[in-house]
Amino acid sequence: MIWLEGVSYLRAGGPALVDVTLGVSGGELVVVHGPTGSGKSSLLAVAAGVRAPDSGAVWIAEHNIAGLQESSLPYVRRNVGYLPPEPLLIPDETILENIMLALAVRGEPIDSAEADARETLAMVADSAWENRLATSLSTGQQRLVALARALVGTPPLVVVDEPASGMGADEREGIARALVWARDRGCAVLCATSDLSFVQLLVDAGGRRVDLEDGRIAGAPAIGLVPDPVCLSDMTSDAQPENADSAEVIRISDRRSSGEGSS
Amino acid sequence: MTFAWILRRARRQSVSARRALLAVAGLFLALGMVCGASVLGLRATRGWMSTVGQSVHVIAFLRDETEPDQASQLVDLLRRRPGVARVRLVEPAEALARLRDAARPLPTTGSWLDDLEPGYFPRSIEVALVASADLPQRAAELSRRLRGLAGVAGVDAMTEGVARLAAWVRFGQRLGWAVVLATGIAALSSLVGTVLRGRAARRRQAQVLAILGETAGNIRLPANIALAAAGLTGALAALLVLRLAWPALLTAVERTLSIVPTPAGFSLGFWESAVGLLAAAMIGWVLGYLSTPVRGLVDG
Repeated sequence: MIWLEGVSYLRAGGPALVDVTLGVSGGELVVVHGPTGSGKSSLLAVAAGVRAPDSGAVWIAEHNIAGLQESSLPYVRRNVGYLPPEPLLIPDETILENIMLALAVRGEPIDSAEADARETLAMVADSAWENRLATSLSTGQQRLVALARALVGTPPLVVVDEPASGMGADEREGIARALVWARDRGCAVLCATSDLSFVQLLVDAGGRRVDLEDGRIAGAPAIGLVPDPVCLSDMTSDAQPENADSAEVIRISDRRSSGEGSS
Repeated sequence: MTFAWILRRARRQSVSARRALLAVAGLFLALGMVCGASVLGLRATRGWMSTVGQSVHVIAFLRDETEPDQASQLVDLLRRRPGVARVRLVEPAEALARLRDAARPLPTTGSWLDDLEPGYFPRSIEVALVASADLPQRAAELSRRLRGLAGVAGVDAMTEGVARLAAWVRFGQRLGWAVVLATGIAALSSLVGTVLRGRAARRRQAQVLAILGETAGNIRLPANIALAAAGLTGALAALLVLRLAWPALLTAVERTLSIVPTPAGFSLGFWESAVGLLAAAMIGWVLGYLSTPVRGLVDG
């Protein structure tokens, strides 16, 4: 579904992403783990079509969106359910209306959008919130609503940045269930978090873990381009995964940077 | 976003930003009142000009020794002339009474008016001509003929006075236009200021829609519609107020200035109203364009 190929991205303080290659196919859940400042948010913003990479390609449904004009990007973004690091909601709108907006942009009829939004809100958060204003919710609750907006209508690609930040155990399990629900409906789900226990929760649910360090994927292949995510999975099976019981963990050292073989 | 969604967004924005929209509609009302009143005022002054200009065109002052019979014959003679609408003989007593009426409101009027006697005033004949494009020329020709008649001491061709009045009216109109322009600029500036002040508040909404994949055009469209509707509402209210209040205002002004009431210019015509409403809607649409930021919302 999405294939980032040799993506580099610069921000004010220096490189945020360096030659990142990563793929997520439909019906797959990939969780990107890394410490603060490792480039997770930049990676997800590039994947969601919110930021343009400085080099490399971002293939979504066989189209390289890195080469698209700014005016064409909205048509890409509306097919991506994106939860940014800060839950962006319209403050003077109701929760239901906020969630419905994602479907409005895709041109879904109002009645069915309302039904879909109710269903997703009930699954991710609390259906009793639907008529409350966004400003009346806590930041954590707003994050859940923003997650519901990212998942509503099961877009082909779901990109969620720190969805469980500041959440309790029950809420984290609920979020993990929601992401698995989206994956099971065929969505390609790309999730970033710095929270190891949440990573484990997703890995336990069948997610694939990718570690990001200083803007590079830890254990990324040294040379050449990996043609598709299936091959990437094949390569990881030859490596030595840390969580070999349930997860496919990419742990191939970057030979280009270290000059060594696989770890 | 489909049109149904855009209308829904416009309606919701109108409710959530009702105070700002009411302010915008109020400013459009003021702008509409200024523009409409200036058009109607222009029309009224033209009507007054026409009325004043066609009341009396020539005054012939008779010699003291002219007998009443002679004066009556002259009046009859003038009435039979083609192009003459009205002829009236003004006796000295009436002339004095007119002067006293005209001078009474002036603050400098003293008791000297009481000392005047009708005998100081000559008998005169006032002639009004039928209105036409060559009225000044016909008035001048009649004046020339009257000066040659026995019993006529002097002739005042009032068209010169009308020309002076016209110059003053033109000056007044220019002054009026300057006031209208200044008021219009002030109202427009207030409108733009009101809209731009709300720009920061609308940024979050635009940012959410941009991240969800809405195009810049559709992000702006609800505000375009809401502000065009506010403009239309304000302009309609201005039309209604002008229709109800203008006749009473005009009548009061005419009564105060002792101007013969003119039926013209009581309300704006269909096309004038249509152009005004269209202009208000278009200005509102442009303000909607300015009100919503669409650049730099996401790092595309």
